[in-house]
Amino acid sequence: MKAMTQKKPVLKVEKLTKRYSSKEVVKQASLTVNQGEIKVLIGPSGGGKSTLLQCINFLVVPDEGRIWLEGKEILHSQKKELYDYRQKVGMIFQDFNLFDHLTALRNVEIALLKVRKMSKKDARERAVAELERVGLKEHIQKYPAQLSGGQKQRVSIARALAMDPKVMLLDEPTSALDPELITEVLAVIRALGADGMTMVMATHQIGFASDLADEILFMEDGAIVEAGPPARMLSQAECARTREFCSKLTGLYGDSR
Amino acid sequence: MDELLFIQQDVLPALMKGLKVSMMLIIPSGLCGLALGVFVGALRVYGNPWIIRLANAYVAFFRGFPLVVQLFIWYFGLPHIGIYLTPFLASVLGFTLCSAAYHSEYVRGAFLSIKKGQRLAAQALGFTKLEMVRTIILPQAFRRALPGCGNELIYLIKYSSLAYMITCIELTGEGKVIASETFKYMEIFLIVGLIYLVLTSFAGFFLRRLENSLRLPGFDHYAL
Repeated sequence: MKAMTQKKPVLKVEKLTKRYSSKEVVKQASLTVNQGEIKVLIGPSGGGKSTLLQCINFLVVPDEGRIWLEGKEILHSQKKELYDYRQKVGMIFQDFNLFDHLTALRNVEIALLKVRKMSKKDARERAVAELERVGLKEHIQKYPAQLSGGQKQRVSIARALAMDPKVMLLDEPTSALDPELITEVLAVIRALGADGMTMVMATHQIGFASDLADEILFMEDGAIVEAGPPARMLSQAECARTREFCSKLTGLYGDSR
Repeated sequence: MDELLFIQQDVLPALMKGLKVSMMLIIPSGLCGLALGVFVGALRVYGNPWIIRLANAYVAFFRGFPLVVQLFIWYFGLPHIGIYLTPFLASVLGFTLCSAAYHSEYVRGAFLSIKKGQRLAAQALGFTKLEMVRTIILPQAFRRALPGCGNELIYLIKYSSLAYMITCIELTGEGKVIASETFKYMEIFLIVGLIYLVLTSFAGFFLRRLENSLRLPGFDHYAL
C-alpha cells in the first residue's frame, strides 16, 4: 500500500543547525518526508530529537538551515508566513500541553475560531467530529484535569487534526503515559497512518515504529547518524552505536505495539 | 441621648454624602486601574525589550513616589504646565495610575507562572502573539492574579481617603470637617473607620465569590 502512494515531498528540511551558546544541539540535520510517509526518530534522550522537531515548526528558531513545505520555502521572519505554516504542521507534545482552562471541546475548537476564523457553528461541528474520531465523544465537556493521560493526548491529536495539517510532528507522544494508556494513543496514531497522514515521530516505542515507519532515523549528539527502513535498522544497522541502541530498545519496548 | 441624636442628624448625613463621593472615586479607579494593570503586566512580559523598559520605568515611578505626592503633582503641579484637573479627576487619575502599577506586578507574576507548554501549543497551532496572550494565557493568568489584585482593590478603598488632601471631600474629608467643628474626633473617626471596614468586607466577599465562580478543575489545587 505504501508503495502506491506517490512520492511527492511534503516536508523538506536541509542542514538544520541549532546552537545553545557554543553547544550544537542539532547538527546539520536533513530529512525529506514524502506524502503519506512516516519517519521515526529514535535515539538517546538529549540527542536532539525534540529540538529538531521544535525547529521544524520554528518553536525553536534554528541558527542555520532551510525548510520547505510542499515545495515552498518557509521564511520564518515573515510573521504571516510563519503563522500560516504552523497551521499546516500539526504538533503533538510529550506532555500534551492542552489548554488547562478549556474543556476538551474548547481545546479543539479554539484555534478553529481564533486562528482559522471559522464560524462558531462550523468550528463546533468540526471539533466534535475530531473528538469522535479519536474516541472521546463522551468526554468533550471535561477539562484536562478530569481526563486521563491517554485521553489528554488524544484530545491534543484531535486539536492538531482539526487544523487539517499537511504533516504531523509527534514528539514522544507516549512517553508520559503509563503502559496501559499507551495502547489507546498508539491505536489513534496507527489509524492516522492508515489514513495516509504524513508524520515525523520521535519515540522509544520500537515495536510500534518498526510496524509503522517507512524509515527510521537514528539521532545522537544532535546529528542524524543513520537512516534506513526498519527491518535493516533494527537488525543490521551499519553503525555499531545504532545497533546497540536498537537492541536495548527492543528489549525494553519491543512488545508494546 | 444627645449624642445619638447628634450622630443621627448631623454626622451620618454628612458621612453618607462623603461615602457617595468615595464610591465614585473607588469604582472607576478600581476598574480602570485593573484594566490598565493587566495591560501593563502583559507588556512587561510579552512586549519587546524597549516596551518592557518603558513599562518597568512606569511601575518604578508610580510605586516609588508616595501616593500623596502623586496627587499633589496631578492637582497642584499640572496647572503649571497649563493642565487644570478638578480635585475629583486628579484623584481618579492618581489612584488609577498608582493601582495599575501594583496590579501589573501581580499580573506579571501570574503570566510568568503559566507553563511554557501552553505557549508552545498555541504557537504550534498558528496563534499570533496577541491572540495567544488574549485567549490562552490571560484567562489562566487572571485567575492566578485575582487574589493579589483583590488585595490591591481593597487597599484602594482605603487609600481613596487621600483624595481629601487635594480638596476632593469624600468620606474621610467629611469626617474631618465635622470632627474639627465639634471636636468629637473619637466618635466620628470610629464611625468613618467602621464604614471603611464594611466596604472592604463587602469587597472581600464579592472577590471571593468571583474567585469561586472562575474556579476550574485543575486550578483548584488550593481547595482541599
